[in-house]
Amino acid sequence: MSDRDMAAAVSVLRDEVLDTVEHGDRDPPGAEVFDALLRTLSIGGESVPGLDLTLHDSVARRLAWGDSEEAVLQDAELVFDRLLVAVDRAFRDPADQMVVIEAATQVAVTVARVVSLAAVSRATRDRADRLREEMSQRQLKEVLEKQKANIARLEDDLRSGFRD
Amino acid sequence: MKTPVPAPPVKVAGDTNVGKVRTTNEDSMIVDVQRGLFVVLDGMGGANAGDVASQMARDVIAEFVMHRRSTMPPRALLDGAIQAATQAVFNAAQAQRERHGMGTTCVACMVLDATHVLVGHVGDSRAYLLRGGRLQTLTRDHTIVEELVDRGLLSPDEADRHQYKNVLSRNIGARPETRVDMVELELKAGDRLLLCSDGLYGYASAEAMQYLLGSGDAPDQVARDLIELALRGGGGDNVTAIVLEASQPAPSGTQLVRTNGAVAWWQRRQRFLHVAKERGLPKNAMVRGLDANEALELVALNLCQAIFHDLEKSTGVNVWTFAQTLAGGWFERGGDWSALRGMMDILGEATRVVVDEIRTLDAQLGFLLDIAVSRALVVAELALGGLLAERLRQVDTELIQLHTAAQETIDVESLDETGDRFIDRPTIPFLRAERVITAVGVPDEVAGAIEKTLTIARARTSPRAELVKQVLTSLEAIATDGGSNFATAVLAARDLYGVRTVDDAGIMPLFDALDQARILTAAAVHQIQVPEPIRAKALRAISTAHQRLVGAATGLVLEAAAPYTDRLREAQQVTSDLRDRVAAAEKRRAELERRFATNVDVSQPWGSRGNTEW
Repeated sequence: MSDRDMAAAVSVLRDEVLDTVEHGDRDPPGAEVFDALLRTLSIGGESVPGLDLTLHDSVARRLAWGDSEEAVLQDAELVFDRLLVAVDRAFRDPADQMVVIEAATQVAVTVARVVSLAAVSRATRDRADRLREEMSQRQLKEVLEKQKANIARLEDDLRSGFRD
Repeated sequence: MKTPVPAPPVKVAGDTNVGKVRTTNEDSMIVDVQRGLFVVLDGMGGANAGDVASQMARDVIAEFVMHRRSTMPPRALLDGAIQAATQAVFNAAQAQRERHGMGTTCVACMVLDATHVLVGHVGDSRAYLLRGGRLQTLTRDHTIVEELVDRGLLSPDEADRHQYKNVLSRNIGARPETRVDMVELELKAGDRLLLCSDGLYGYASAEAMQYLLGSGDAPDQVARDLIELALRGGGGDNVTAIVLEASQPAPSGTQLVRTNGAVAWWQRRQRFLHVAKERGLPKNAMVRGLDANEALELVALNLCQAIFHDLEKSTGVNVWTFAQTLAGGWFERGGDWSALRGMMDILGEATRVVVDEIRTLDAQLGFLLDIAVSRALVVAELALGGLLAERLRQVDTELIQLHTAAQETIDVESLDETGDRFIDRPTIPFLRAERVITAVGVPDEVAGAIEKTLTIARARTSPRAELVKQVLTSLEAIATDGGSNFATAVLAARDLYGVRTVDDAGIMPLFDALDQARILTAAAVHQIQVPEPIRAKALRAISTAHQRLVGAATGLVLEAAAPYTDRLREAQQVTSDLRDRVAAAEKRRAELERRFATNVDVSQPWGSRGNTEW
């Protein structure tokens, strides 16, 4: 089977692998993984940097919409599992099955890498933000100390001679 | 005036060996702990004259020091002893024709007081000092070549290659008197001194000597090891070594636990058994049928012994083995968890009682023991945890098999009506509850194909790519795991993850290795000689394993990254609280200033400035 035919043959499994019915016009969870798989199959093995970029883009979009990294990972896992079951049923030739399985594994590893990198980037950002917060806290504490001193002085002055 | 102390504040041991080539040992030594005198002599001269010279010098030096120890200052004493030996050997050499030319080298160390030693030497026997892990030579060989180097007539490189590099310029016996080089040394706690003949340093590298001296073993062991080292290096000469160790600093906590702690624990073993008995150990279901004493001996005494050995060695291996054996045996007999838990609780309580009693007698030791024994108990719990995880995995597999069998026989429609569905609940937090089960049991032929594939992949792995090899091993374990469940993958991922920093440098090598393993297995699976359907099944199992492994590894990354967000939120909360406090303080300050301004409003005439009382 040619690369194009293979991609077409797998694309008909979309409804079986993804929850397309539940989500109507919107992209169902895991669509980015399935699309990356089709892309990999259609050009006969996507290069790792190319796949990385594609998935990075789609995963970043999902995270930006508020999905957690865990959710992205769960969806990828579900797509993988369902795909394997669907491929086993849909393809008679073991050689064809192997082509899809190899591509699916490549996509799975890449998704995991992209999600991990996203988590690491988030951790780095959070770490930097925390440092900024701590700097703000130091400044606020200084201000608070000065205010306390002012308040104490004013209270003393009022107590000592300027009673209400 | 310093006089040699009778009992030196050092530990010392010496050893000598004839070597592998010579037939007689011409080396001699003095290890006189009582007088604080330690000497190595290396005799030379034909017709057995070498051993005569070294033994004669040894006897003269020992006698000289013994008789004049209390009357002479140390430098004069040591110099006098060596001069007397020189005179005696020279006279003996002159008296007998066949002993003409005999002589000996000498390196001597005399302990002066608690912190000082005096080292004197003639010839090429050496003294070394190991301090702070570094080995330095205290003596300079009295060879012709060294003298030429000293005078600037030879470079050190030329000296190493010089044909006369072993010819001595000074020794005991060549002349009626000799010049002794002396150095006084202040010893620091933990210093080690080595006196040796050229049979040691000529056949052993300085690095190896440094390693052995710094090993922390007792001096007698070090001396034996040094001799062994020279023998392994060829043993071409007689070899002698004396090792002196200055008093150690106050023992560290670990050393205290290893020595006093272990002893204190072992001394209270009967108390431990008694408490365990009181807490009801003999009544526990695990030892039902055994006599009370038998039960105590089998369980409590064994644990007591395991803890003792672990304290001694600062390890947890004995307690680990104990817990595994105890729990493994119990589970194999079909025992239940509650009895094991009860037993561990009893043992834990008895341990606490004993440690608390030690603490009342010696607070510091009790504190240290508390930590060490707590660690032992944690190790035991970890061992139990491992067994339970394994058991859980087996139960998981059995449940899946039962579920599959049930699905084939049960009327699904009737189940739908009652809503009584079997739900495969995940045990790993980030996994879906409704995930499909992709494999139930791996047939032998597929397992064989998986093994062949991974063997080929491993063979193609670079020898230095340890992480890739580890991934391949993990893949085999997961792929051949019948239930294809996640426990194996999570455990393997934890092993792979190890300790990593949460940044690109820490995480990327792991995913690079996972990707490399994917490429290797994808190539290898096409090379195995099996029917095509089996090959496809093997690839499917390996790919599933791969997906599980990367999923679990990513889960660990997410787990590691999560605290950063939590800490940021905490910090943001603190900042927000501080802002609120600043705002409140600002409000208060403004209020006070308003009142103050009202009271002293200078724009008002006297008497109208608020209600100020002067």
